[in-house]
Amino acid sequence: MRVLEIENLGFSYEDGTVALKGLSLVLDEGEKVAVIGPNGAGKSTLLHLIAGFRMPFTGEVRVHGKRLDPRSAGAVRRDVGLLFQDPDDQLFMPTVEEDVAFGPVNLKLDDVEGRVAKAMRSAGVDEMAKRRPHRLSHGTKKRVAIAGILAMDPKVLLLDEPTSGLDPRSRAELISLLKGTKRTMLMATHDLDAVAEVADRVLILNISPVAEGRLGDIAGRGSVLEDAGLEPPQLTKVFKALEDKGFEVDRLPTTMDQAVAHLVRLLERQRRGE
Amino acid sequence: MIVAHVRGHRVMAEGLDEHAKSSWLSGLDARAKLIGILAFVVATSLLTETRLVLASLAFSVAFAALSQVPPGHLARAYLSALPFILIASVSVFLFAGYERGLDMWARTSSCVLALLVLASGTETFELFAGLRRLRMPAIITTLLMLTYKYILMMSEELSRMTVARKARGFAGGRSLLDRRGIKVISYTAGMVFVRSAERADRAFDALTARGFDKDMRGWRRSKIAAPELSFVAWFVTVSVILMLLQLGVSP
Amino acid sequence: MSQARVRALQNGINIGLRFCITKRVIRITELVEMHIPDGLMDPVIALTGWIEFLVVAAVALFLVRTRVKDKDLPRIAVLSAGVFVAQMLNFPIGGGTTGHLVGGALMAIMVGPVVAILGMTVILLIQGLMFGDGGMTAFGLNAVNMAVIAPLTGWGVYTLIKPIVSRKDEKPFGPGTAIAVAAGAWASVFLAAAACAAELVVSYAISGGTYGIAATVSVPAMLGYHTVIAVGEAIITAGVLAYVWSISPGVFAREPVATTKAEGLRGILHLKTTQATIAVLIAFALALPLYFIYSAEGADGLEKTMSDAEVEEGGAVFSSPFSYGENYFAALFAGILGFVVTALAALGLLRILQGVKAAD
Repeated sequence: MRVLEIENLGFSYEDGTVALKGLSLVLDEGEKVAVIGPNGAGKSTLLHLIAGFRMPFTGEVRVHGKRLDPRSAGAVRRDVGLLFQDPDDQLFMPTVEEDVAFGPVNLKLDDVEGRVAKAMRSAGVDEMAKRRPHRLSHGTKKRVAIAGILAMDPKVLLLDEPTSGLDPRSRAELISLLKGTKRTMLMATHDLDAVAEVADRVLILNISPVAEGRLGDIAGRGSVLEDAGLEPPQLTKVFKALEDKGFEVDRLPTTMDQAVAHLVRLLERQRRGE
Repeated sequence: MIVAHVRGHRVMAEGLDEHAKSSWLSGLDARAKLIGILAFVVATSLLTETRLVLASLAFSVAFAALSQVPPGHLARAYLSALPFILIASVSVFLFAGYERGLDMWARTSSCVLALLVLASGTETFELFAGLRRLRMPAIITTLLMLTYKYILMMSEELSRMTVARKARGFAGGRSLLDRRGIKVISYTAGMVFVRSAERADRAFDALTARGFDKDMRGWRRSKIAAPELSFVAWFVTVSVILMLLQLGVSP
Repeated sequence: MSQARVRALQNGINIGLRFCITKRVIRITELVEMHIPDGLMDPVIALTGWIEFLVVAAVALFLVRTRVKDKDLPRIAVLSAGVFVAQMLNFPIGGGTTGHLVGGALMAIMVGPVVAILGMTVILLIQGLMFGDGGMTAFGLNAVNMAVIAPLTGWGVYTLIKPIVSRKDEKPFGPGTAIAVAAGAWASVFLAAAACAAELVVSYAISGGTYGIAATVSVPAMLGYHTVIAVGEAIITAGVLAYVWSISPGVFAREPVATTKAEGLRGILHLKTTQATIAVLIAFALALPLYFIYSAEGADGLEKTMSDAEVEEGGAVFSSPFSYGENYFAALFAGILGFVVTALAALGLLRILQGVKAAD
């Protein structure tokens, strides 16, 4: 089932500046796609647009089969879980519990308590149920915000810069949370290391789409990433440098596991070569 | 965190919600509290007989004591209301006699105290939800909720900007006649405003994204049980008795 | 009480007050607040306030239904939040005294009088229910003063004066506009305080001294103090609007100019000028019931107090300047009000007639 279909999407701001142009994208169930690009590329705008907050646009957007237009925006929003970049914008109620329940209550879903409990557990914030959101650390706030949208049981998660502003530990926890969930996900970010771990494929966006595919493949294609103002993951850079020096690297690794496996292969080859 | 200069004294609003969590009073449905205290305040404002006024004040104080609201907090809040009450009481005393002055002071103090206990003993969103359930128009309660949230947001922005300003050595704005100081201050105000407006839009979008439909009905499970009924019964009974006695005294 | 004792008491109070104010024990802001607590006003006056407010609120809610869309709500709430925060800040006006902002004119000029009425009501609700600032029975009066009279007057005066003084302005916020804004803001506080003082005076008169505050105290304290504070309001309102309108005009859209030229009576009603005149007249009309109540019961109340003052032992300290003070201030008050109403109404009428003539 196609969760998200975008066809030739275009959008401009009121003052005329073009924010998105000629974008097409398809997400199947369970896929995790990252939209990457420099600041101002339109990544956030794209997410907000899919959630029905930016109209009018040219082209077509379909969420779970439903076509997005001014009348259906409300209905589409029920299927979409938008995580805002700043959790302070999103957190609203006086306690964590009530905030996570906010979505289900408004959407009049059944078994609110069960959903809330489940969502809080998935996000690892069940112990803070009675705490006040604004007293929590940035990373915890993000997790509460995620719990809030998980509780709504959306068909697709739209995550706006999920790892921004997080300390290394929180970031690692968030990444493992995102890896662990089976939900369909569209992530806007410029944290390529996180993308490497979580996303199945990436779309490079700079107002118009630049390239699409697996991060490792794209990283190997000359300077596509750099031209788009992006930095490849650190590990990838290392191996690229090795490649430039003449060493054989068949597939550029993007994650730690891939890199270690690659290194092991290279070292074993060397050992045998001696 | 709101630090409200309620008439010049500091009353911590966030602190209010902390207290509100822990007492029998805060557990009550807001509607019962609103109705009960309204009845009491209406009755008290009709009292002119000194003994009745003092009785009302005694009831108010007892209510405050039983409510488990920290007395220090109540005292501070009362103190900030006191000057105006005193001006009224003293001027009544000067023009119409000792007893009338005392009546004025006791009457207004009794009402203010009851209201302060209501305010301190009720969590803010619960209060607004209660108002909505009492049929206050949706647009007003929605604005109440949003305004409250944005007040918190703005106070934060304001203190951040003030700190940033002071870090750059700004020490002006002491008097309205300090032109440059006033310019900086009003620009700060304008900036806080504009930034808050943008954040406000985002926050509202976030609410809409989670299905909010500009009405907060159904947020809190409402309960009318024995505690609520007995609270209302107590307050209404006391109010009615006071009023009947008052009517009995004056023709 | 002997004259010497009276004088000693007066001096004592004077010195005590001066001490408290200069040593920042209390501020004048706290002494002459406009947020009336319960139990201060005569119940009849409080009830009148409630009735007036509910009528105005009902009309405002009805009008708002068509004008306010969902996406406007956050902006309105932010504005209310801003005015709330501004109301909390005391600004010094030199000499140890401080003032505070009401904000009714600011709101009304920015988003129109109807929305401003709602916004100010929300602010008062928060202040009353969360901080105990302003009573429940007195809410009607507080709302009439600060949430109805202030915005209506501020907007009305601004709209009526602006076209005249800003004819030569080139920028969106030139000196002419600034003057119009300042005048509107000043008038809004002045009138709100006048209404508050009137309510206190009438309460006092009709209740024979049980409720309210005597005119000789309330008029100079409430009205006099706020006349000066109103200057601060004028400066701050002009400053904030200057910033928002010239530097970030996109934040709040200015009132759209009427594009359709409707015919006849509807056309006249759509004119800003007409609406502004009506607004100002409503603000004054709200004071009418007070006058009627005063003239109906006031005289009796006064006499009652005078006889009480003579009968009570060791009760009243002052008794003779009493009746003179009452009538004098009341008359002065009514005179000023009458003059200003007539002037503004005439101005408005002239402009409407001019407009109608030009259309012919």
